[in-house]
Amino acid sequence: MSSKESCRNELRSAIRQLSNRCLYSAAQWAAEQLVGIEQDPAKYTPTNTRFQRGSSSIRRRFRTNDITSTPVAGVSYVSTPVMEEDEVEDSDFYLLAKSYFDCREYRRAAHVLRDQTGRRSVFLRCYALYLAGEKRKEEEMIELEGPLGKSNAVNRELISLERELSTSWKNGTVDPFGLYLYGIVLKDKGNENLAHTVLVESVNSYPWNWNAWSELKSLCTSIDILNSLNLNNHWMKDYFLASAYQELRMHNESLTKYEYLQGTFSFSNYIQAQIAKAQYSLREFEQVEVIFEELLRNDPYRVDDMDMYSNVLYAKECFSALSYLAHRVFMTDKYRPESCCIIGNYYSLKGQHEKSVVYFRRALKLDKNYLSAWTLMGHEYVEMKNTPAAIDAYRRAVDINPRDYRAWYGLGQAYEMMHMPLYALHYFRKSVFLQPNDSRLWIAMAQCYETEQLHMLEEAIKCYRRAANCNDSEAIALNQLAKLHHALGRDEEAAFYYKKDLERMEAEEREGPNMVEALIFLATHCRAHGRFEEAEVYCTRLLDYTGPEKETAKIMLRGMRMAQSSFPPMDVEHFPP
Amino acid sequence: MAGILKPPGAFAVTPHKVSVCILIQMYAPPAMMSVPFPFSSVAQHNRFGLYLFALTKSCDDIMEPKLDELINQLREIGDVLYQWLTDQLISRLSSLSSPDDLFNLFSDLRAILGGADLSAVDDEQVVLDPNSNLGMFVRRCLLAFNLLCFEGVCHLLTSIGIYCKEALSSCSAYELPCLDDSSNELEALSEYENMDLENIVFEKVNKEIEARKKASEEVSFHLHAPKALFGLVEDIKVSAVSKSQGGDKCREASPSAHAPNDAMREFDSISGAFLRTNWQMQGYLMEQADAIEKHGSSFSLNAFELILRQLQKLAPELHRVHFLRYLNSLYHDDYFAALENLHRYFDYSAGTEGFDFAQPSIGCNSFGRYEIALLCLGMMHFHFGHPKQALDVLTEAVCLSQQHSNDTCLAYTLAAISNLLSEIGISTTTGILGSSYSPITSIGTTLSVQQQLFVLLKESFRRAESLKLKRLVAANHLAMAKFDLTHVQRPLLSFGPKTAMRLRTCPTNVCKELRLASHLISDFVSESSTMTTDGAFSTSWLKNLQKPMGSLVLTQENVSGKDSNAFQFCAQPSSIPGSVLQLVGSSYLLRATAWEAYGSAPLTRVNTLIYATCFSDGSSLSDVALAHMKLIQHLAVFKGYKEAFSALKIAEEKFLSVSKSRILLLKLQLLHERSLHRGHLKLAQKVCDELGVMASSVTGVDMDLKTEASLRHARTLLAANQFSEAAAVAHSLFCMCYKFNLQVENASVLLLLAEIHKKSGNAVLGIPYALASLSFCQLLNLDLLKASATLTLAELWLSFGPNHAKMASNLIQQALPLILGHGGLELRARAFIAEAKCLLSDPSFSVSQNPEAVLDPLRQASEELQVLEYHELAAEAFYLIAIVSDKLGRLAEREEAAALFKEHVLALENENRQDEVDPLPSTP
Repeated sequence: MSSKESCRNELRSAIRQLSNRCLYSAAQWAAEQLVGIEQDPAKYTPTNTRFQRGSSSIRRRFRTNDITSTPVAGVSYVSTPVMEEDEVEDSDFYLLAKSYFDCREYRRAAHVLRDQTGRRSVFLRCYALYLAGEKRKEEEMIELEGPLGKSNAVNRELISLERELSTSWKNGTVDPFGLYLYGIVLKDKGNENLAHTVLVESVNSYPWNWNAWSELKSLCTSIDILNSLNLNNHWMKDYFLASAYQELRMHNESLTKYEYLQGTFSFSNYIQAQIAKAQYSLREFEQVEVIFEELLRNDPYRVDDMDMYSNVLYAKECFSALSYLAHRVFMTDKYRPESCCIIGNYYSLKGQHEKSVVYFRRALKLDKNYLSAWTLMGHEYVEMKNTPAAIDAYRRAVDINPRDYRAWYGLGQAYEMMHMPLYALHYFRKSVFLQPNDSRLWIAMAQCYETEQLHMLEEAIKCYRRAANCNDSEAIALNQLAKLHHALGRDEEAAFYYKKDLERMEAEEREGPNMVEALIFLATHCRAHGRFEEAEVYCTRLLDYTGPEKETAKIMLRGMRMAQSSFPPMDVEHFPP
Repeated sequence: MAGILKPPGAFAVTPHKVSVCILIQMYAPPAMMSVPFPFSSVAQHNRFGLYLFALTKSCDDIMEPKLDELINQLREIGDVLYQWLTDQLISRLSSLSSPDDLFNLFSDLRAILGGADLSAVDDEQVVLDPNSNLGMFVRRCLLAFNLLCFEGVCHLLTSIGIYCKEALSSCSAYELPCLDDSSNELEALSEYENMDLENIVFEKVNKEIEARKKASEEVSFHLHAPKALFGLVEDIKVSAVSKSQGGDKCREASPSAHAPNDAMREFDSISGAFLRTNWQMQGYLMEQADAIEKHGSSFSLNAFELILRQLQKLAPELHRVHFLRYLNSLYHDDYFAALENLHRYFDYSAGTEGFDFAQPSIGCNSFGRYEIALLCLGMMHFHFGHPKQALDVLTEAVCLSQQHSNDTCLAYTLAAISNLLSEIGISTTTGILGSSYSPITSIGTTLSVQQQLFVLLKESFRRAESLKLKRLVAANHLAMAKFDLTHVQRPLLSFGPKTAMRLRTCPTNVCKELRLASHLISDFVSESSTMTTDGAFSTSWLKNLQKPMGSLVLTQENVSGKDSNAFQFCAQPSSIPGSVLQLVGSSYLLRATAWEAYGSAPLTRVNTLIYATCFSDGSSLSDVALAHMKLIQHLAVFKGYKEAFSALKIAEEKFLSVSKSRILLLKLQLLHERSLHRGHLKLAQKVCDELGVMASSVTGVDMDLKTEASLRHARTLLAANQFSEAAAVAHSLFCMCYKFNLQVENASVLLLLAEIHKKSGNAVLGIPYALASLSFCQLLNLDLLKASATLTLAELWLSFGPNHAKMASNLIQQALPLILGHGGLELRARAFIAEAKCLLSDPSFSVSQNPEAVLDPLRQASEELQVLEYHELAAEAFYLIAIVSDKLGRLAEREEAAALFKEHVLALENENRQDEVDPLPSTP
C-alpha cells in the first residue's frame, strides 16, 4: 500500500478532475475515501479528529485482527502519475456548458461545446449527449409502454457516440474519461468483450474513476472473467476486487480485502457499509447492527444501504428502531427505492401487509430491477394469502437474478402452501443448490418430503441430516430426525439424535416440550435396553416438570426400583430358610 | 405487475395500421358510386376488400409488414391498380408532416363509416358497415388514436417517417421532400448497420457450421457401426450435404432469421417494426405450436428460439412465449430448458392464460390454476420417459384438481394417467394413486393394473362426456378401443352375482369404440375456436399472393380466372380444426393396428392407406412415419425385401429429420429379417443388439421395443441352432411379458418356444407350447397368429412319423384358408411345404397317380421363397421337387431343381463362411 499521504494527494487531484468532468458520483466516492483516511493527529485540531473518530472503540471490538500494518506479500504497487489537466485555462464555452450541465440541460451543454476540441470539452460534450439520450430513453419507456409490457426504448445517441469515440480510440486521441464513456456505450450496445478491453484500459491509465470500476464490476459475471482481467496493481484495484468478490458471493474473500483496506482508510463509511453487507450475507446480524449504528452516528442523512439495516432490524423485531429509521430516511429523501423499502419493512413488521405492498410497489416504480423489493413483496403476498401474486413477484426476482436463493425459496414455500409439495420441491432444490449451507432451506425441503401427500421419509431424513450439519440455529432438525427415526422404528438412531438434541438444549439452556419428549423417550429406551441407571437419571430429570410426564416418570421409577429390588428377593424366596 | 392481469387485446396505432386505414379509405371513399373510381369491376373491388380483410387478420408473423412488403403485396393484387394505389398511399403517408395532419386524417376516416341506421343511406353509395370486420378495424383505430396522448401522436409521426423512408430507400423511384429533418438519424442507422456487416458474415458462417454439425450428428445417430449397417442396404446413401441444404431452406422460410445479432435486432426493432395485434400474435403462436407438434424435432430449434426471444423482449408480459419455448425444447429433447420454461410459464400466468378449454367464469380464478401446471409437468416427464415422476406429479394433479373442483382438468389428468398406464409396463398396483383418488381406492386394493386402467378410462370418459369435452371423449374412445384390443374383460368385483362372461376379447367393442371416436368429426363445430381458422385463412390467402404465379404472363384478361383459382386451391379455409383431424386420423391408424392384430392384411393396408392419403398433412410426422412403416412392413412380408428396401429409401428421405425415428426401427427390423433368411447370422445378431439399444434403460419404458429385441434375439439363436440358449432367452422373455401383462406378446413367445422345440427335434415338448399359444390366440382373437400356430402344431405332429400325417394334414387344411388369404410369403411357403410333406409321408397317397398335388404347392413355395431369399427353406423345397421328379422319372425337371438346390445351399454356406471369416462384416 502506498503511503497515506500519497493516497491523499492522488485523491485530492482526482476529485477536482472528476468534478470538472461532471462525473459527480465518482467524485463523491473519491471524496468519501479521502476523508476516510486517518488524519495525522499532529496536523489537525483535536475537534477535527474527535469528529472523525466517532465511537471507533465499538468498531474495534469487532475487528478480528488488526492488519493495519500488514502489507500483502509480493504485491508491488504501481504509482500512476497524476494526470495533468491539458486545459489549464478554462475556456468560456466550457464554463457555460458546465453550468448548463449542472442545471441538467444536457443538450444545451452539448450544443455549446460543439466546436470545442480540448479533450475535456469533448468528453463533456459526449457525456452530456449520453445523459440526454438516457433521459429521453427513460421518458420514452413510459410513453411507449405497450399493453404487453415495456417497450424496449433505447438511447438514440449511442450510435453517433460510438462512431465518434471509436474513431478517436483508433487514433489514440482519447483520454481515460473518454474510454470510460466508450466503455459504457459499448456495454449498452451489448458489445461486452470490447467494453471489457476499453474499461480495463481506462482504469489502468486513470484508476481513480470509481464509476469505471463499477461498470467493469458489472461485466464480471464469473470468477473466470474476473481473473482474466489484466489490471495494474494500484490500490484502487483492491477496492474493485473487494466489491467484485462480494458480487460473486465470495463473502469471506471480500471481507478480508475490506479489512485490509481499512488499514489505510480506517474511517471510510463506504468500507464500513460494505463490510456490513458482507456480514449480512454471512448472517452475522449483531455485527451488522453495530456497524450501522456507528455509520448513522457519523453520517445521519445516509440513505444508501439503509434497506439492509432495516432488514436486520426486521429480523430482530426492533419495532421502534425500525420506525425511527423509517422516519429518518423518509425525512431525508422519500423518493428513493431504499426509503420505500424501509417503510415497507416497517409496515410488514407491524402486520399491515397491504400498506407494505403499497410501499414496495412504489420502490419498484422507482427502480424496476430492485431485486430485494420483488422478493420482499413476494413475502408480503404470501402473508396476505395471495399466492399467485406472490409467485409472480418471486418469479420476477428470479428472472432478474437467477442466483437469488431467497426468491427460489419463496417460490417453493408458495407452492407448498397450495398443497403442491412435489412441484415445490423443484424450487427448493434450486435454492439449496445456491445456498447449501443454510439449514432453513434444508428444513423446508425436508418438511416438503414429510407432507402427508408425499410421505417420502427417507428423503426427509437426508435433508434434516444436512440441516443438522450446517448449524441449525432453530434446532428443529435434530428433534425431527429423532422423531422420524422413532416413527420408522429405528430406536437406536432415534436415541442417538434425542441425546444430541438434549445435549444441545442443555448447552443453550433451553427448556420446553422438546426437552420433555426427549427425556421420556430416552428414559423408556434405556429401560427397555436394561440400562436402568441411565433411565433413572432421565426419569429424575423429568420429575422437575409438571404435567402427565411427571407422573409417568414416577411410575417408571417406581417400576424400575421394584424390579431391581425384587430380583434378589426372588432368589431368596426360592430358597426359604 | 404482480397479481394484476392486464386487460387483453389492447390495440395501438402503428404506421402499418395507418396505411391500412388509408387503403380502406380508398376502398370505400365517401360519397362515391357503387364501384369507386380506380376499380374497373365489382370483382376487382371485392378482391381488394378481401385483401384488406386478410391484412387485418393474418397471423403469419409477429411483426407488422414494412411498407415495401405492403407495396409488393399490392402489386400482386392488381397490376393495373398497383401504380395508382401505391402512388396514393405513399403521397398520403408522406404528406403527414405535423401532428395536425394526423388529426385530420383520422377525422376524415370517420366519414367512411356508415351511421347506425343503414336504411337512411341510399344504395349507390359505398358505406362501411361499422360492425363489419373492416368497420370494426377502423373504429378500433379511431378509438386508439383518440386515446393517444400528445407524446404518442409525436411518436406515431416519427415512426411513420421512418416507415416511409425505409421503404423508399429500397425503391428509389420516389422522392420524398418533406422528411429531411429525420434523415440524419436514419443515415446514421444505416451506416451503423453496414459497420456490423463483419459480424453478420461471421454469424452466418457460424450458423452454417452449426447446421452442418447438426446434420452430421443426426445422420450418425447412436450406432456403433453405423456405416457398415447403412452400407448393407444397397444404394441407400444418407448424405450430410442434402440435410444441411434442408436446414438452410428452413431458415429461409422462417421470417425473421435475417437478424442474427442481438444488438442488431434491437436497433432493427426501433427502426420501424411493430408488433401485430394481440389477437394476431396469439394466433401466430398457436399455429407455431401446432407446427412444432406436427414436425417434432425437424422443426428448426434455433430460428424459432430467436423469434421467441425477440418477442419476449418486445412484449415481456406475453407469457405464452414461455410456453412456446417449453414446447420447442420439449420436442428437441432438451430436458432442462423444457423444465425451466414450463415452471416459468406457470409462475407467471398461473395457468390462466391461453387455455381454451377452461372457461374463465368458473370462479377458481383467484387461486390460479396450478393443477394444469402439474398436468403439463406430468406429461413432460412421460415424454422424457420418467414414468415414476410422471405418475407422482399426475397424482398430485388429481389431488389439486379435486381440491379446486376443476373437473375439466381432472378429466384430462385421468386420461393422461390412463395413457401412461397403458404405455408403460407396471407390475405392481400398490402405490399407483396412493390414497388420493377415492373412487379407485374404495375398491382399489384388489385390482390389477389392467383393471385400474379400465376404471380410470371409464372415469375419465364419464367426466369428459358430462363436461362435453368432445375431443377428450373421442380420445377416450380410442384409448378404450386400444384397451379392448389387447385385454380380456373380467368382472371388476370379486364377489356378488356374476354375469356369464365369455373370457375373450371382444372385437365388436373395439369396432364400436372406433366408430364412436370418428363421430367427432361431425360434432366438433360447437367448440371450434374461430381464431385459428379465421387467421389461418387470411394467412394462407396472403401467402398465396406472394407466390410467384405461373400465369403472370397472361395478364389482364385472365385476372378474374386467376382469382378463383388462387382462392380454391391455396386458400381453402379448412373448416375442420387440426386437432379433430388428427384424432380422426389416429382412429384410422388404430383401425389398421386392430386389423393387424386380428390378422387381416388387406384391411390393415387399406386403413393405413386411408390414413396416409387423407390425414397425413394434418397429423404429426411421427404418426405419418408409423403409417409408412406399416405399409413397408406389409410390402416386405408380401412382396419381398427388394421392394421393401426401395420403399424404405423413399420414406427415409422423407423422415430423415425425425429423431427417435420409427424408420430407423423399421430398417433394423427389415435388415434382421433378411439376414435371418439369408443365413447371415452374425449380422442378424448385431442388428438385433442395435435394436435393443434403442430402448430406454428405465424399467417399464419402451416395453414393445424391449420385447421385440429379445424375441429377435431368441430367433437369431434358434437360427444358429443354439437351442438351449434360445429357449432360455424365450423363457425369460415369457416371464417378463407375464409380469407386465403383455398377453399378445405371450402368444407369440409361446409359439416361438414351440418352434424351438420343433427344430431341436423334441416335438413332444413342443406340442404343449403350441397348444398354449393356440389358446392365447383364441382368447385374444389373433386369427393369423392362430393359423401359424396351427401350422406349427401340424409340423410337430408330422415329425412323429407317417402315422400322424393324417392328423397334420387335417390341421393344415384348417389353417390354409386364412393363410392363403392373409398370410405373408414365408407363412404360405411353409404351409405349402408342410402340405406336400404330409402327402408324401401319407402311405395311402401315391405320387405317380397325382404328381401335381405335391409338385404344385412345392413349386409355389419355391417361387415365394426365392423372392424372400430364404435359402434354407428354398433348398428344402427344391430338394423335395428333385426327389419327386426323380421318382416320376422327369429327369430334366430333376436336374433343374437339383441345380437350384445346389445354388441355395451354396449361398447359405457362403453366408456362413463369410460369418466365420469376417466377424465384423463391413460394407459388401
